Amino acid sequence: MEEKDKNNASDITEESELQKLERERDEYLEGWKRAKADFINYKHDESRRVEEMIAFSNKALIYELITVLDSFHIAITSHNNAKETKGLSIILGQLEESLKRFGLEKITVTPGVPFDPNTQEAIQEVVSDKPAGTVDEEVSRGYALHNKVIRPARVQVSKGQAS
Amino acid sequence: MSKILGIDLGTTNSAMAVMEGGEPKVLENAEGNRTTPSIVAISKSGERLVGLLAKRQSVVNPKNTIFSVKRLIGRKFSDPYVLEDKQWLSYEIKESEHGGVSIVMGDRSYTPEEISAMVLQKLKADAEAKLGETIEEAVITVPAYFDDSQRQATKNAGEIAGFKVRRIVNEPTAAALAYGLNKKKDEKIVVYDFGGGTYDISILEVSDGTVEVKATGGDTHLGGDDFDKRIIEYLVSEYKKNEGIDLSKDSLALQRLKEAAERAKHELSTTQESEINLPYITSDASGPKHFLMKLTRSKLESLVEDLIERSIKLVKEAVTAQSPKGAGLELSAINEVVLVGGQTRMPAIQEAVKKLFGKEPHKGINPDEVVAVGAAVQAGILQGDVKDILLLDVTPLTLSIETLGSVATPMIEKNTTIPTSRTQVFSTAADNQTSVEIHVGQGERSMMVDNKTLARFILDGIPPSARGVPQVEVIFDIDANGILNVSAKDKASGKSQSVKIEASTSLSKEEIEKLKQEAAKFASEDAKKKEFVEARNQAESLVYLAEKSLRESGEKVEAGVKESVQKNIDALKAVKDGDDLPAIQSATQELSKELQKIGEAMYNKKEEPKKEPNEPQPGSNQSV
Repeated sequence: MEEKDKNNASDITEESELQKLERERDEYLEGWKRAKADFINYKHDESRRVEEMIAFSNKALIYELITVLDSFHIAITSHNNAKETKGLSIILGQLEESLKRFGLEKITVTPGVPFDPNTQEAIQEVVSDKPAGTVDEEVSRGYALHNKVIRPARVQVSKGQAS
Repeated sequence: MSKILGIDLGTTNSAMAVMEGGEPKVLENAEGNRTTPSIVAISKSGERLVGLLAKRQSVVNPKNTIFSVKRLIGRKFSDPYVLEDKQWLSYEIKESEHGGVSIVMGDRSYTPEEISAMVLQKLKADAEAKLGETIEEAVITVPAYFDDSQRQATKNAGEIAGFKVRRIVNEPTAAALAYGLNKKKDEKIVVYDFGGGTYDISILEVSDGTVEVKATGGDTHLGGDDFDKRIIEYLVSEYKKNEGIDLSKDSLALQRLKEAAERAKHELSTTQESEINLPYITSDASGPKHFLMKLTRSKLESLVEDLIERSIKLVKEAVTAQSPKGAGLELSAINEVVLVGGQTRMPAIQEAVKKLFGKEPHKGINPDEVVAVGAAVQAGILQGDVKDILLLDVTPLTLSIETLGSVATPMIEKNTTIPTSRTQVFSTAADNQTSVEIHVGQGERSMMVDNKTLARFILDGIPPSARGVPQVEVIFDIDANGILNVSAKDKASGKSQSVKIEASTSLSKEEIEKLKQEAAKFASEDAKKKEFVEARNQAESLVYLAEKSLRESGEKVEAGVKESVQKNIDALKAVKDGDDLPAIQSATQELSKELQKIGEAMYNKKEEPKKEPNEPQPGSNQSV
């Protein structure tokens, strides 16, 4: 399809009936081969797609439940009293174990280690005694589903000591 | 010849697609996402990051994180748009020696083309990894209002990335292509593109396979992000009113609120109400504080009403204002409206557009991907993939063969793409049946009598055998012209018969629709009839099998078992031709249970050790 534009000039060539038929034949054969190849490749891809679908069919549900995990973590750290929050911690552990069976793993974050955008997302930069450019604190946990990051860990990044 | 990649190089996000099997397919990037942020950065450790990884560190590295470079590409530094954007860009830009824009990232300067090339390079690499082949060529889209300099700069970006850029296509044209509107004749199309950061309007005219951009309009600083801001402002002000706490001062709380607001906005496109639930959002002297609020669709619409109205005002201007400001057309002259951009998922926007033009806008394709899809279609046209001669039809109604009990057994389901061929093997219903009737029907009903008969023919010469033994292969073959060939062949004798049916796809649209509606209307009735027939067929087969087993079991089975089986056979025979379905099913089940005893008895008989009469037994008295 052409866009009306001075840059698009079409070339007109003369060709014989035979040449035209040969050209069309080659086009059609090429198209047929391409369609056949696409189909074969699609079939190969299909089995992989089914496997991926099975592995990730719970992704949307698990992603929603991560918000609930977040709330549990915030609740436990807010109370700052291990005795009071023991029950909550146990329930959280239960939920995490259940989700682990479906392939969900927590991303490990170590304060003081350089920030890694592959598994982390920087929320803000803060003055800290940790070296500049390293993780100061994990704000919310990150998770991987079947080794693929579905929610990066949210972290505060150190900008070093105040000058 | 490798595939040509269709690329939507967006201001905020980019997407890519290819033609596969004649259909456009959006490709996922290495992170598994269908869109890639158009962001490039040099990290604090000197590493170049592109896409999502660059976005993740943007907050802590704003000076070296380059975004929205599309706003700068192909423009002079002195361009008023550039000077305006310079005010809010977090990175440094300066004038290059040729008067263009130079972007400072890390310890050197880059042209906007070089930055865009980095995004394109990532797309190229990810596409190659996905497809397992080298991609050498691309079709890249640009806004319709881009001038020659901006288009050339975009093409240069493609070439720096290693592509041969086959075509630079206007984004609204690509959207029209995605919906197949390029085939229209003398039509006026409005493309309403409401993305995350920009709002673009284009008025197109399609004729004789060419597309002309008659006018453009919009607002380069209006988008879905503005809708999110309105929601956040509302939530913050409501919370302050109720709790006396200003969440906008707490960056972590604001982050959670921002995500929740965006999620609520998406949800409200399909529901009337969304709950925003953020426990432990903050704390004060009294302890932890929580955020719990309901947001209704009508409230959301009231928050953004003026933004939607502004977009409608701008599109009206673009259509009706005299050239060069607009296309100088009446609103009623617009034939088609296409929606592009994620924000167009909002029902209020769809309604407003529909109300303005008096017609339903095209919105079936994912609005975030429609431009990339259109770019792939253009790529396909250039590659010769998409030709009218390759447009394939579908068979509108199911084609079936009549089987035992007058059931219509589907051979080719409705909406199957043609040409196609289906084969199934059938057998005989009675002992010594030497011919079969092939009754070909068309329609969605379960019983053949309710469908249209297309053909009937007889295949004879089948060698006499027990029922269920012969193998008759039936082939239904429809060619690209919709001509159905049905053939039947007996595998033993090799005898075959066939028939050609010309009119299998010649029903009118209305007739097809009527038949489909009838099938839906009678669906449950037909299902019951089919269940009945299947129960009767099963009963018949079981009676046949039971009687055969009794004949062949001979001495191996006790008289008592035989009698019990015969009793059940008689009971089933008495009900199988009646109308009492539960009775047929129950009698079938009973006979099936009893029949198992014959099998058990025969297996037990087989396992008993053979006793020779004269063989001495240990400990017995033997006589010589």
